[in-house]
Amino acid sequence: MLPWVIAHPGVPVDEVCDRFGYTRGELIRDLNTVFVCGLPGYGPGDLMDASIDDDEVVVEMAEYFSRPLRLSPPEALGILASAKAVESAGSGGPVLSRAIEKLEGVLLPDGADAFVVDLPEPPLAGRLRSAAREGEVVTIDYTAIASGERTVRDIEPWSVLTTLGNWYVVAYCRHAGAERVFRIDRIRSAEATGERFSPRPEEREPEIRYVPSDDDAVATIRLGRRAAWVAEYYPVEIVDSGPEGQTIRMSVADPSRAARLLLRLGEDAVLLAGDEVASAASDLRSRIRARYARRTGDD
Amino acid sequence: MQKVIERILNLLAFLLTAERPVTADEIRHTVAGYDRDNDAAFHRTFERDKAILRRLGIPIEREATDVFEVEFGYVVDHAAYGLDDPGLSDDERAALALAVQAVGFGGRPAGHEGLMKLGGAAGSLAGTQLGADIGSHGDSLDTTFAAISERRILSFTYHGKARRIEPYGLVHRRGHWYVIGRETTTDRTKVYRLDRAGAPTAGDQASAFVRPQGFNASEAVLDRPWETGEDDLVAHVAFDGDVAWIAQRELGPSVELVESSDGSLEARIGVNSPDAFIAWIVGFEDKAEILAPGELRDRFLDHVGGSM
Repeated sequence: MLPWVIAHPGVPVDEVCDRFGYTRGELIRDLNTVFVCGLPGYGPGDLMDASIDDDEVVVEMAEYFSRPLRLSPPEALGILASAKAVESAGSGGPVLSRAIEKLEGVLLPDGADAFVVDLPEPPLAGRLRSAAREGEVVTIDYTAIASGERTVRDIEPWSVLTTLGNWYVVAYCRHAGAERVFRIDRIRSAEATGERFSPRPEEREPEIRYVPSDDDAVATIRLGRRAAWVAEYYPVEIVDSGPEGQTIRMSVADPSRAARLLLRLGEDAVLLAGDEVASAASDLRSRIRARYARRTGDD
Repeated sequence: MQKVIERILNLLAFLLTAERPVTADEIRHTVAGYDRDNDAAFHRTFERDKAILRRLGIPIEREATDVFEVEFGYVVDHAAYGLDDPGLSDDERAALALAVQAVGFGGRPAGHEGLMKLGGAAGSLAGTQLGADIGSHGDSLDTTFAAISERRILSFTYHGKARRIEPYGLVHRRGHWYVIGRETTTDRTKVYRLDRAGAPTAGDQASAFVRPQGFNASEAVLDRPWETGEDDLVAHVAFDGDVAWIAQRELGPSVELVESSDGSLEARIGVNSPDAFIAWIVGFEDKAEILAPGELRDRFLDHVGGSM
């Protein structure tokens, strides 16, 4: 706060509070601290002069605090990455782009194209977002990831979000009669029905991270070193970790999901325990083998 | 706590105006708030205050007080202390604040405190329709970003080997962070996935290398994981009609899907990393099939495992 206040003498108390998230009481307390600090000697000519005068904030005798502080790497990354993510998703605007350009000039003076956050919004996301804003009921053609089952359902979209590279729409699903999260890349089409719903006044933060339930299938999997990323990418419990790899426990609502992961990892993963997942994996393996055998047989 | 804040502000004011390295002893007897009698207590307090200031991003360095290097003192590096003023306007600050609010890192927002350093944000923030999370790799990501920004050598382990690179760029794509750099021992520029890189550390020296002219990080990281690799194959794949649209979205408009006599859709896809390609095809379960080349088909069946 100090550098900004020093550069803007006589700024109203309310503006300082608003800008830096202070309450009036907190601001007065902090200014009182500033008032008793300064340079050795600590006489009247050495201490900073901080005061609220006729509802205006003034800090003097503190030119040495007038430069804005350097951003620490996490702070610089936090601001720049957030700004570039929003810009890339097409939700920015000319003002944000100008701000990014100015920040990059300071943080990456010789590397204009060195830092990239790529978050391209899929085509349907824009339509779903505007439906959420307008309160429009939308009919979607959706293919579930776990079962491959295709359904057409009416949803009341609440918000669109992206996490770890995937895009989702959070909605009230009239088909299920409950809140649901749909992956946008599995929505083949989305058409507004023309019907309106009243947006819910209090939207909750949607939970994308998987929350295990008692009915889940549980699998214990030994991961080789090359599959170490799995432990970071999925919400799993790490049972054991050593130089040769890790043992994880993962719980899934649909065993076929863990089965797909196992087949994908090949020799880098071994299933140690979990009957449901074992049978789903073996079923998936035979279905794939059967398909390949058909064509091999034709030749 | 009030006392701590007072003492730290006094210490910072003293260091910023001294314009020369000052010894711990000098600080102890000059700056208000330090214990002048008890050695151990002073050192404990002083160490803690230095750590707090460094965490705030204030670069306190230890330097010799004279050319003979007999005595050492502390100095705040003026060039590194301040930020060249980016000259943000109030509406630009508000746009940044909105962005910081919309984007999370592994569930947590980041950048709010940095905005305070840049002058806060005036006015109330209207909500945004976007929510985004771009993952968190904690310290690894911070260290890598700092190394790229300050051009420091970056060391880490990758596939079990120690690497030392000149980090040219950092890219977030498809849910992962990638660092691109020139390996100093092999003189090859490569792309590394940050979550697979072990414990990166940045070198002591800033401006340790020059980024190649016209370097573009976005072009260095390819769109699809199987396009990064040393092989050069063309895979001929059949997708069932009900999943072909998913494949088409992933492959982009440059790959054409052609309907065959049995109703499936066939595509020819360039593959540089067979492992990554096989991992992708497994996701289609039994609704896709690699038709050719034979070696890739066999490798896929090997990977899936199980006997006929």
